[in-house]
Amino acid sequence: MRSSLARFALARLGIASLFVLVVAASAFLLVQLAPGDATTDLFLNRVDQPAIDAARHRLGLDQPVAAQLAHWVGGLARFDLGQSSKFGAPVAGLLANRLANTASLAALALLMALVGIPLGILTGARPRGLLARVVSVVSVALVCCPPIVGTLALLFFGAATGWLSVAPDHLMLPALALALPLAAMLERLQSQAVAQAMRAPDIVAAAARGIPAWRLIWLHAGRHALRSVLGVSGIVIATLFSGSVAVETMTAWPGLGRLMLDALSGRDLYLVAGCAMAGAAMVAAGNLIADLLRAASDPRVVRA
Amino acid sequence: MRFLRLFFAIVGFAAVLGSACAGPKSTPEPGQNASSTPQSGGRLVATYRTEPSSFNRYVAPGAADDLVARMIHATLVRMDRATGKLEPRLARDWTSSPDGLTWVFKLQEGVTFSDGVPLTSADVVFSFRALYDLKVASEIASSLLINDKPMQARALDAHTVSIVFPSPYAPGIELLDALPILPEHKLKAALDAGTFRDAWSVTAPLTDIVGLGPFVIEEYLPGRRLVFARNPKFWRHDSAGRPMPYLDRLELQFVADQNTESLRLQAGEADVTTGGVRFEDLTSLQDLARRGKVTLQDAGVSISPDALWFNLEPGAAADRPWLQREELRHAIAHAVNRQAIANTVFLGQAEEIAGPITTGHGEWFLPDLRPAAYDPAKATALLASIGLTDRNGDGLLDDARGRTASFALLTQKGHSVRERTAAIIKEDLRKVGLTVDLAPLEANSMRGLWRDKKYDAILYAVEFDAFDPARNMEFWLSSGSFHFWRPGQKAPATPWEAHIDDVMTRESMLLDPARRHELVADAQRVLAEHAPVLYFVAPHVTVATSARVGGVSASVLTPSVLWNAEGLFVSASPGAIR
Repeated sequence: MRSSLARFALARLGIASLFVLVVAASAFLLVQLAPGDATTDLFLNRVDQPAIDAARHRLGLDQPVAAQLAHWVGGLARFDLGQSSKFGAPVAGLLANRLANTASLAALALLMALVGIPLGILTGARPRGLLARVVSVVSVALVCCPPIVGTLALLFFGAATGWLSVAPDHLMLPALALALPLAAMLERLQSQAVAQAMRAPDIVAAAARGIPAWRLIWLHAGRHALRSVLGVSGIVIATLFSGSVAVETMTAWPGLGRLMLDALSGRDLYLVAGCAMAGAAMVAAGNLIADLLRAASDPRVVRA
Repeated sequence: MRFLRLFFAIVGFAAVLGSACAGPKSTPEPGQNASSTPQSGGRLVATYRTEPSSFNRYVAPGAADDLVARMIHATLVRMDRATGKLEPRLARDWTSSPDGLTWVFKLQEGVTFSDGVPLTSADVVFSFRALYDLKVASEIASSLLINDKPMQARALDAHTVSIVFPSPYAPGIELLDALPILPEHKLKAALDAGTFRDAWSVTAPLTDIVGLGPFVIEEYLPGRRLVFARNPKFWRHDSAGRPMPYLDRLELQFVADQNTESLRLQAGEADVTTGGVRFEDLTSLQDLARRGKVTLQDAGVSISPDALWFNLEPGAAADRPWLQREELRHAIAHAVNRQAIANTVFLGQAEEIAGPITTGHGEWFLPDLRPAAYDPAKATALLASIGLTDRNGDGLLDDARGRTASFALLTQKGHSVRERTAAIIKEDLRKVGLTVDLAPLEANSMRGLWRDKKYDAILYAVEFDAFDPARNMEFWLSSGSFHFWRPGQKAPATPWEAHIDDVMTRESMLLDPARRHELVADAQRVLAEHAPVLYFVAPHVTVATSARVGGVSASVLTPSVLWNAEGLFVSASPGAIR
């Protein structure tokens, strides 16, 4: 069992590494397809053509795309993510700080989103109760709400009431903006899974044997239903990082998403590829951990 | 009920955790009207949408880089960006030869860099050397060339410098406002070693960065903030003898999203924002102004209005030659209702214009050059004159081959003013049967297509940074990179462009203001007659600051408030700054 789990972990690690490389290389190539390049801003700042040509040469933009890609891959082999054309500094250094910020934002948002699980157990256990009716309406609204709208609403709320700071240094608002739709999704999933579990024959039989309701709901049905939440953990982690681009930009949280957007708008090739790589690595790591947890709790996952 | 308590306990825990993760709160107190007497001390919080790419201004041409340079460096002379007048800075006075070629500057004595090293004329000469060094390939060098040739700087003594222009230049030494004087003792080694471009990058130790400006960089947190502290060595005093700058600290917080930036000002968490007020925010800010929480200032009429131009490169519209016809542009000028744009997009806070020189340019504006009258019938006749008529009765114009006459109009996605203006243009042109395919694009994509000359038409504005038309020759000259419709021509493509080249080149070398005005007026009239670029309205630029900020001298040029950071102050209010 232990060796098959190790083989499973190694296989997943290999897939995750490939995923990270493919995402980063795709980002590198996709930026090349977009109109403009890292010197477009120079043109707008009225830098003359010889200086723009010199900048293109310095940045290697006068090379064919294949040569640029080969140069980038060669750098990766030496653990060198290249130099940012915008900031004139190593990409690795720029990423380190932003990665930590995004990780702290994602961690807090995830922690807050976990509220959805007990809430889902409560609403699933009594689906016709007042709490379930109110919560399900709010949850559906939050799930449907795009991150940009939710963030704007929170910003307006914060600015109008002063209860939430809209200052760039404050983590609460961006974390809430990310967490609310996730919490709603978890609540809906958990609620449906618990409602289904409560109708399962073993739970019905346990209830008939006089096991207290709280124990049935929280220990038996709740735990049983958790598998469905674990099953979407990959989506949850991906949502956290994809949502962070809009949320970080709007709330001025200095994370990876905002850096990625800056890099994209400035056509900063190496920085875009670096950000994509870092984001993909975080998503892959999250998925890997979730897969391992599922494998550890359910041997069928390893065999599948 | 117990479950509800549990739920609120978890939410409460998360809230406490979130607050614990947050940094120090910076909440300037609104509602305190700044007195007119400058007060020393305090901290001002400004938001800015972009970050500097380097602290070395010579290799960083962006707006944020310019702003940082204005904080930490000083120039020989400075243009008052509110009045357009030139004022002494590091140069206490100057003289020029009768031909306007040789300028001799006397430097202020007793001025030191922020590290205490005295300023001498060697620093000025060094700055020019770094500027024009081919290995440096400075991104700001081209804007400091006169007729494509460099100026020559020479030290006459420790505090006297001569600067020789390669040819007469009408704006004179005004362009020196763009050249920060750098410390030779800090950067000479890098220049000699060929590593000047790498010096003072955003990852450099802040203690290495010294300057002659009112502030020094105290802290830089990428993506978050740049904190400037008062430069204790700054030499300037105000007319009452108070040392400048007045502020102890100026904190620049990076807020990429304009909605958030506006909300922060309205919530009292920022004192100053990047630029002028958006028109969608004007009503709420006027309300706050009435309640004494913010102050609004009309900086004047924009000198960088939105313009519409077609791609006039040869062969750019081979299948639709009518796209490059002058009659099409005149038809659009008559078909678009400028008043509707002024009223709906700019809430009435805009003036109809006929060309790039607006009332914001002051003496250069030509009041008798009137915009084309709104006249759809005339537009229809003009379109018919180039073969665009409705041939199949579907209400849309067709070209000679029976194809629906249409073109794609690129504009900047997310820029509400441009998107709305483009929508009105589309609607007005639809009324005369012309089909416009609107294509709002992310800014860099749009600029890339413009640079690569792969477009039909663009609605956009380029920020001009001077009032004097001779400082914007890149727009006027056919060889210029900002000759929007057909940049970088080897020889003028049309007789009227040759004429504009001639009059603008001559005026830029004349020292007689009256004759200059005649020539610039001539260029404006020729431009309006051939309409290679269409202008519709120029908005008033309104600047909003929190009410506790004093010393604001708003400018239509950027940065609209922080250009004069040394003159800004905040009213003392206990607890306002934490």
